[in-house]
Amino acid sequence: MVTSTRTRLQSRPKSVVSSIQEFWQKQGAGLLPPILGIAAFLIVWQVFSWSGLTRLPGPLSLWTEQRTRELLLYPFYDRGGLDKGLFWQTLASLGRVAKGYTAAAVVGISVGVLVGTNDWLNKATYPVFQFLRMVAPLAWVPIALVALQQNQPAAIFVIFITSVWPILINTTEGVRQIPEDYNNVAKVLKLSRKDYYLNVLFPSALPYIFTGLRIAIGLAWLAIIAAEIVMSGIVGIGFFIWDAYQQNYISEIILAVIYIGGVGLLLDRLIAFLQSKIAPARK
Amino acid sequence: MGLLVAADQVDKVFSLADGGEYIALKGIDLTIKQGEFISFIGHSGCGKSTLLNMIAGLSLPSSGVITLEGKEIKEPGPDRMVVFQNYSLLPWRSVRDNIGLAVNTVYGDLPKGERRSIVEEHINLVGLQAAADKMPDQLSGGMKQRVAIARALAIRPKLLLLDEPFGALDALTRGNLQTQLMRICDENNVTAVMVTHDVDEAVLLSDRIVMMTNGPGAEIGAILDVDIPRPRQRMEVVEHPSYYSLRSEIIYFLNQQKRIKKLRARKTTAIARHGLEKVNLDLGFVPLTACAPVAVAKEKGFFTKHGLDEVNLVRETSWRGVVDGIAGGYLDAAQMPSGMPLWFSLGGHQDRPLPVVTSLTMTRNGNAITLARRFYDQGIHSLADFKAMLQQTPDRQHRMAMVHPSSMHNLLLRYWLAAGGIDPDLDLTLQTIPPAQMVVDLRAGSIDGFCVGEPWNQRAAMDGVGFTIATDREIYDGHPGKVLGVREDWANAYPNTHIALTKALLEACRFCSEPENEPEIREILSRRTYLATPMEYIQLGNPQATVCERNPALREYAHHLFFGDGANRPSRTEHLWHMTQMARWGDVPFARNWLEILERIVRVSVYSTAARELGLLDEKFTRGTIQLFDGTRFDAEDPMGYLNSLAIKRDITIAEVILDQPQAIAA
Repeated sequence: MVTSTRTRLQSRPKSVVSSIQEFWQKQGAGLLPPILGIAAFLIVWQVFSWSGLTRLPGPLSLWTEQRTRELLLYPFYDRGGLDKGLFWQTLASLGRVAKGYTAAAVVGISVGVLVGTNDWLNKATYPVFQFLRMVAPLAWVPIALVALQQNQPAAIFVIFITSVWPILINTTEGVRQIPEDYNNVAKVLKLSRKDYYLNVLFPSALPYIFTGLRIAIGLAWLAIIAAEIVMSGIVGIGFFIWDAYQQNYISEIILAVIYIGGVGLLLDRLIAFLQSKIAPARK
Repeated sequence: MGLLVAADQVDKVFSLADGGEYIALKGIDLTIKQGEFISFIGHSGCGKSTLLNMIAGLSLPSSGVITLEGKEIKEPGPDRMVVFQNYSLLPWRSVRDNIGLAVNTVYGDLPKGERRSIVEEHINLVGLQAAADKMPDQLSGGMKQRVAIARALAIRPKLLLLDEPFGALDALTRGNLQTQLMRICDENNVTAVMVTHDVDEAVLLSDRIVMMTNGPGAEIGAILDVDIPRPRQRMEVVEHPSYYSLRSEIIYFLNQQKRIKKLRARKTTAIARHGLEKVNLDLGFVPLTACAPVAVAKEKGFFTKHGLDEVNLVRETSWRGVVDGIAGGYLDAAQMPSGMPLWFSLGGHQDRPLPVVTSLTMTRNGNAITLARRFYDQGIHSLADFKAMLQQTPDRQHRMAMVHPSSMHNLLLRYWLAAGGIDPDLDLTLQTIPPAQMVVDLRAGSIDGFCVGEPWNQRAAMDGVGFTIATDREIYDGHPGKVLGVREDWANAYPNTHIALTKALLEACRFCSEPENEPEIREILSRRTYLATPMEYIQLGNPQATVCERNPALREYAHHLFFGDGANRPSRTEHLWHMTQMARWGDVPFARNWLEILERIVRVSVYSTAARELGLLDEKFTRGTIQLFDGTRFDAEDPMGYLNSLAIKRDITIAEVILDQPQAIAA
């Protein structure tokens, strides 16, 4: 208590400028290289587009193009139909990802545990899983459309089928990698099946499961863009890009790409954050 | 104490990836009583952990059964809780929760509060109150192991199984934990089985130590009883008279296992050459002055001269090594005490008669009885003085040492004592220790005297530690000392090699007997590969003949007889005398069919062939009657009558000793 009061007292007279200065003194050395790198990248890109070597607009076009500037400034507008701000477009995509990914997590973890605890099953399913894992998300799109007929469930299915493999395979591996000692402890204590799952299997396999979940969230986000691009007439960031391309609004594509990258990064950090809360790294 | 665990003819076979099989354990018989602490000791891969796992039920025997309280063990259970080598704490649960998981699982029907108090009680038991809420990765190795022990004890197992529990800990922590474990086991009357590599740990903690041979097909080599009383204190245990003998017993066993492994790995097929069936021989000896013929035959090339190109001398530190080498078949031949061929043949080793034959007596004399110097200073200069001293101090335990029950030292010492009216088993304690250890023990005061071959009597006298109270020349002049011994099946498989070996050693004996060679022989013997003792202690002969004197001066004697005057011919009469003496002291039965046994064991024909081929034809046939210093004549026609006439003796067993039909080992 005493110390916290003192720091508050000390920090109060500081101006915003001086605290920024302090922050920069502490973190500047680490932040400078990425900032310079990004700036250089943007400058080179802008110079290229000015030079006329490519028809790709430069980063400044995000501001100079009026349509794009509106999109940038008003992400929450909604004029009905497909004409929605980028926030809503992204949210629609995220909704699909959430459904497909959740299904993938549930199926992947439960099947993974089943396969991991049963050697015979593991051998039986290994070739099938490895085969299916290698099929690219785009290749699933036509299959999903044929099978499910409608865009919305097909998109969710594509997410599911893309992201389920890393979860499943990592869970299987995690279960198989449970140290023999822990299993022996469980055997000697004659832990019930429930106790074994709760106290030994899941805690032990959790780091593997999270690795799978992190890989899967990346893949799911990749897959949604691919899936939406070819599924016309739905709200979603993927279709937004495709639509912009059809209408030759190139700078809008660039803006959408920035959204996609940003959201992907956030999703990955989110899972990493969950992992650090649920299954902290151990020595 | 009731029987808790019984293993009956347990085998464990693992199938290998290439379709083969690995026999890990073979024919394990073991019983564990309630409240006992048992250790399994052996080299890595000897299957001790496998055996522990089978008792735990984590793996099942391939054949045979293990029972707990009469019920077959088919699966693991909390009544046989294991403390694993790497602790096996669940890293996502705190100390309290790790113990709690076990307690809640096993005592699920107890009320919550009671379970919690069991957990707390066991955290206190191992002194981890302060760390109860820590996670395992915040603990040191020793603390983790304490948690594992607490977890195991908390569920009150009938049997506590510990798999190298302290192997990964530093010495200080290990010591503390051993003490704690010992206290907990004593206080709670825990039955425990522990796998360990650590000899001292095994002796400190165990009631019995199960020593396991090396795999494949590992067996229980021997079980040692640890007779050190409980409760034990680390510092007091090392003072206990049994401690070092137990320790050296285990170390001997482990070293023996290591050697057997090495010998197994080596190519051991017989190499036939020069018309001999086998020229690659492993010849065992114990470093004593009497090993001179063996050393000379090797160093002066007598083995090579007779075609034995690849003789490898195996230096054993004790006669026991020779016994195991011959019994185990990894020594082709050995220089052995004169009584040993009969001792083997009459079942002295593990009560299984193993015919061992002799074709050459290599040395005679060269032994003496030494007493500690303090007796000399007390005026004890004769056998009668010694007896008087023993009678005056009946409350004191007097110990004398000899090297092997079958050796002439044992027989001479006992004969000498008995002739003076001292019962060697009742008035004294006789113990077996290796020759090279005698002087050390005498100096340490753990023995009062010994009978041993040179150079150890000389050494004791010259170092002022002891004095020679009697030499063998006074007791039994010209007695056989060391003989060449080989297994009968070996002799039958390699008859020409046997003759060549006899020839080489006989020639070496002649070399040793020539006075001009003495400096060279002493130099050879002093080398590291032989006695590793300064030359001044090594004497082959002694210029002064001597007889029993009333009041002798401090003496040093060496009087080896290597050759001449019928010294080398194996004598049936002498071996019969050995049989009577060994039977007299209860080491072996007296064979009712002694004539047949002697015919088979004493291979005079091999000696005669060897001698004739060397051109040594002037040998006498007999050495005359055997008469020892007390005047008793040994009548070879009536050995039973002789035995019956002896005043001091043990209960003598007279039995028909059935030797297997002579057969040759697969050559």
